Amino acid sequence: MRVLLVEDDQTIAEFVEKGLREAGFAVEVAADGRAGLEQALTGGHDAAIVDVMLPHLDGLSLIDALRAKGVRTPVLILSARRSVDDRVRGLQAGGDDYLTKPFDFAELLARVQALIRRATGTPEPTRLAFADLSLDLLTRKVQRGSRAIDLRPREFALLEYLMRNAGRVVSKTSILSHVWGYNFDPNTNVVDVLVSRLRDRIDKPFPAKLLHTVRGVGYVLRTPS
Amino acid sequence: MTSPANPTRATIRRTLGLRLSVWYAAVFIIGIVALAGLTYTLLASSLAQRDHDIIYATLREYATRYELGGLPALQRSVELEERTGDQERLYVRLLGRGAEVVLTRSPQGWGGFAQEDLGDAQSGNADDAHDGRAVLEVASARLYDGTILQVGKTNEIRLALLRKFQWIVGLVSIVALIVGVTGGLILTRSTLQPIYDLIHVVQGIIRTGRTDTRVPDRSARGDAVDELSALFNTMLDRINRLIGAMGESLDNVSHDLRTPIARLRGRAESALQHGTPDEQKEALESCLEESERILAMLDTLMDISEAETGVVQLQREPVGLRALLEEVVELYEDVADVKRIVVTLEPGEEVIVSGARDRLRQVFANLLDNAIKYTPERGSVTLNTSADDRTAVVTVADTGVGIGAEHLPRIWERLYRADASRSSRGLGLGLSLVKAYVQAHGGTVEAVSEPGRGSLFTVRLPILTPM
Repeated sequence: MRVLLVEDDQTIAEFVEKGLREAGFAVEVAADGRAGLEQALTGGHDAAIVDVMLPHLDGLSLIDALRAKGVRTPVLILSARRSVDDRVRGLQAGGDDYLTKPFDFAELLARVQALIRRATGTPEPTRLAFADLSLDLLTRKVQRGSRAIDLRPREFALLEYLMRNAGRVVSKTSILSHVWGYNFDPNTNVVDVLVSRLRDRIDKPFPAKLLHTVRGVGYVLRTPS
Repeated sequence: MTSPANPTRATIRRTLGLRLSVWYAAVFIIGIVALAGLTYTLLASSLAQRDHDIIYATLREYATRYELGGLPALQRSVELEERTGDQERLYVRLLGRGAEVVLTRSPQGWGGFAQEDLGDAQSGNADDAHDGRAVLEVASARLYDGTILQVGKTNEIRLALLRKFQWIVGLVSIVALIVGVTGGLILTRSTLQPIYDLIHVVQGIIRTGRTDTRVPDRSARGDAVDELSALFNTMLDRINRLIGAMGESLDNVSHDLRTPIARLRGRAESALQHGTPDEQKEALESCLEESERILAMLDTLMDISEAETGVVQLQREPVGLRALLEEVVELYEDVADVKRIVVTLEPGEEVIVSGARDRLRQVFANLLDNAIKYTPERGSVTLNTSADDRTAVVTVADTGVGIGAEHLPRIWERLYRADASRSSRGLGLGLSLVKAYVQAHGGTVEAVSEPGRGSLFTVRLPILTPM
């Protein structure tokens, strides 16, 4: 899988590039809009991640130019702007998804994977597994080892989100938006409470703990080292 | 930067003004001249008609005298007329059968007409003799014995009268020209003055960037141009207000962010200077937490500012309040459950308001979050909705710790927290956000509280009236 990253902020570019490589992607990086457009036009990328504010050529114009030339590479727009108008404008320009800075990497990865899945028509997996934990999306059954675990709908949704991002830290904000569909600030302990409930179900009865808190960042499913 | 644009504008201004005054003067003068011309024609033709009538009346009278009394009677009659008649003198001539002149009477001073011009006028029709400009208008009649009677009248007096009239008309036209041109100039000037003022103000704003100048107010007259000036002023007021509010909220945001950023820096610096790897890890984690807080704060502060200043228009849609409250209650189900707090949404009818769904959800989520946060275990939180014709009312009542009377008026302030130790989580922005959002919807929010017993928050929103 080849991903093109067009981002002028070096720190963010490195951080995203590193994360994507670790997730098994081949990553090309362009530091300005013009270079990004040239690289994008050579084609062959499975997805592109494009910042809006770029030197020489801004991200939305880049996408415009790309679409005008008939290049259909799915694009994830990155932007520091957060108003709804900008989102709409970004999507109208031919961007396929939109992510606001600052973002957490797990969210970005999930969106890139979803874009590629959508573009290539790869079917969604029906069963997720991590360590000795398994989750069936069709029957909605959860099992750890040989023991079946009963989860309430929100707990199930949270576990599904964590398992899709197993090994990566997910933030409270993205949990709130994925589990409840709320796009506002988690100035509340709703997420902490749900996580602790889930922990009671999937970790408490077992010696090996899988669901970990990363202070200041969020939560992660990880096998104990 | 003004020089290239100004001459063009000034030219436009001058040509517009000139064009308007020329049009005004032209219409004015054409009107006057047409009126004068019409009057002259009417006057001239009615004077000519009068002379004509006099000539024929006299001709008929003299003819009758001649027929009754012969030549002497005619002569007497003419002499009498000459002595006593108050009318202007007429020319009288009597031609015998052989075309010899039997009698001629002509008033003094006008022998100059070429009498042969008149001929013998066998026909009895009128013939005219000319003397330079004046015309002798003559009518003839053949009498019973074959003699021809001619009566004539000069139009000298008529011409003099008309000449006087022409002179007056000329004078009036000159006056009209002067009045028309000056009137046009004055009228144009007074009509265009508000527009010039407007141009002047706009140029000033473009040049200096200061939006505090205003177009002089003349709205007393209330015509379209004045209305334009008034509207322009209103627009400037609005822009000014918006700029002011934006500047103010920028100040607030930067001020409010300084403290947490300073904390973040302090933490990072001290960890760098001394600290075991474990302590440094701990410090890094707190830095991350602090940055999360800063980000949350920035977002919330911007939301509040946007709502307060109205910079961002609400994306309004019909929102069912009860359905919304059910969602919010569901969101906090687990949180309440952990503290064994019973959250109840009292039964009632659905109430539809016009609002931004996300914003309203945040309002009630914040209120419920607060209520649960400040209610001890095994307490209860009760939500209720009601409505009259115009207002939807949502109350959130808790059995919590309550708010002291000294804090109650200040809970809506940004970053104000009754709990000075800041031991409970939160930014101190939740209620400011609630207030800003509710007010952006045209509603009100108020709180009453009894320390130790609980608090009651009441949100009132204008109801969506069915079209």
